Amino acid sequence: MEDTICPRCKTTKFQNPSLKMMVNVCGHALCESCVDLLFLKGSGSCPDCRIALRRNNFRVQLFEDATVEKEVDIRKRVLRDFNKKEEDFSTLGGYNDYLEEVETIIYNLTNNIDVINTNKKIEDYKKGNREQIMKSKNKMSREEYELEELLEIEKQTELSRRNEIKLEEMKTKKKKLREKEALIDELMFSNANAKNIVETFTQHAKESKEVETKVASKVTQFSSGIQFGRQSQSSLLPVSIEEGPLFHYKPQSCITDGPHPPVEDDLSTLGYNVHIRAETEQERAGGFVSNIACMRALQDALAGLYHVKKAIV
Amino acid sequence: MSQRYEKIEFLGEGQFATVYKAKDKDTDNIVAVKKIKAGSKIEAQDGINRTALREIKILQELNHKNCLVLLDVFSQGSMSNVSLVFDFMDTDLEVIIKDNTIILTTANIKSYTIQTLQGLEYLHLNWILHRDLKPNNLLVNAAGLLKIADFGLAKLYGSPNRINTHQVVTRWYRSPELLFGAKQYGACVDMWALGCIVAELLLRLPFLPGESDLDQLTKIFQVFGNPTEQNWPAVKTLSDYVEFKPYPPVPLKNIFIAAGDDLLDVLGALLVLNPLKRKNCSEALQMPFFSNKPAPTVSNKLPLPQSIKKIKDLERPSLKRKLLNSAEGGNLSKRLFF
Repeated sequence: MEDTICPRCKTTKFQNPSLKMMVNVCGHALCESCVDLLFLKGSGSCPDCRIALRRNNFRVQLFEDATVEKEVDIRKRVLRDFNKKEEDFSTLGGYNDYLEEVETIIYNLTNNIDVINTNKKIEDYKKGNREQIMKSKNKMSREEYELEELLEIEKQTELSRRNEIKLEEMKTKKKKLREKEALIDELMFSNANAKNIVETFTQHAKESKEVETKVASKVTQFSSGIQFGRQSQSSLLPVSIEEGPLFHYKPQSCITDGPHPPVEDDLSTLGYNVHIRAETEQERAGGFVSNIACMRALQDALAGLYHVKKAIV
Repeated sequence: MSQRYEKIEFLGEGQFATVYKAKDKDTDNIVAVKKIKAGSKIEAQDGINRTALREIKILQELNHKNCLVLLDVFSQGSMSNVSLVFDFMDTDLEVIIKDNTIILTTANIKSYTIQTLQGLEYLHLNWILHRDLKPNNLLVNAAGLLKIADFGLAKLYGSPNRINTHQVVTRWYRSPELLFGAKQYGACVDMWALGCIVAELLLRLPFLPGESDLDQLTKIFQVFGNPTEQNWPAVKTLSDYVEFKPYPPVPLKNIFIAAGDDLLDVLGALLVLNPLKRKNCSEALQMPFFSNKPAPTVSNKLPLPQSIKKIKDLERPSLKRKLLNSAEGGNLSKRLFF
């Protein structure tokens, strides 16, 4: 999609990231601003194929290939008339032949093959089957029935769930009331310490509450099985920021048990690197310079020259 | 196990070693014991495994708080049966990066980067190239202390006549000069890998996940633009140099939208095509980002994966996962066979 380009004004997606391509029935794309400009009056002709178009038939291009858009348009139009269902045919072969014919018509129209004859075919079909078309429009197909059924079932379950919740609420209310009464009775007639009685009761109440919350599980998915919301969000709690001490660089030194080797700047000024083979161009490109070798040789030579008493581990 | 170490559990097995979690009976510390495998018959004739030998050779001289140092070496029975003892580490940076319940703040990233840089500065000062830096080799313990681990590919550098192999470093963290086949290189290869790691801490995804060596270079040049004779002299003399389709450089600001300018400067200083222009550890640590506010998070406040925070028993130590990965062979070429 990066190299989408409007054929009229040559604006690319790169120049204008908010570029929106629009497409009409003819399948030629235009950018939104060109559509605004050309179809100011509500109708006009396609700059590509000169076909008269209406402005309100323009829609956002969904597919990268504009001919797909064209096909979708044509398919919609053709299927409005060719709306026979499988039930209208006695044999499966007949239905298949009919589908094949519809596909041929759509293919011809999208690819501009034999347009006049094809359009004529459609007109003939329309004339010949006017009654049938009207009937089919009003008739709901099997799929639509199924969908209706599904919705009905969903409604039913929703209703029953709501009833259940109501019932549950009533129950808990009653239970609470009963518990309260029991507590008062106990306080009135028992000889035990009032404080203890209250405590045991509150504990009971707490326990039963915990059980309840566990039982009531919430609906977490749509009817299609997709989970509500994003699961991982619970972990996105704000991070507590605790300031530690700021970092200060302290150069490390290695213990060599010998005199300090010269630093890298001295290599050329004091002429140490004269004695080392200079790196080749290729070694240099690979990130190796003779100074590395020189430094290491010097460090190695000076290391361990002092006598150091070390505790034997 | 020897007299001193008491095995607690099996952690994992890899190409070269088996790792156990163990308790040091002398000090009561929890340690990781890496038992080197004897290997094939031919290898066994030579004595111990070369990678292990290389690791021991380098490790026994190291002593820095940000390097996973060798605590002990012991052998049982024959001499080829060697075990290395390390501090036990709870997790690694890869787990932390991949755990999307963890939020990494600038202060956290600063802390991890400083710890890595300090460890690496120590290594480079001692003429050691790590050559396999990646999040999965930066181990972190429950106290938030980061240690550089896995010295199986580490090597001393700075000898002018010694040829090094360029087939090192996991591909995604491999620097352009290695990809172009440089045989002589310096500490800059580790700096590039570190730059990729910092970028990964920001993105929470591998920054340059190349699918092949050539694709890796393409991914690099798509971000940084192609190398030229001006910004990288003599690049064309490198043995595996190939000309690439020209790409314009993309400003890092456009990739790391949320990063501050001082952090972008650090990335820009580490991820430079020309190895000689890359900053070294000491220079990098002196960049303003590290001394600026916010201050680096103190070690024990660093975020930890859920598994470690909640259930100490169920922790998944990194060493195990890492070894399992290398046992599978992985889809990346990471190991050398000498």
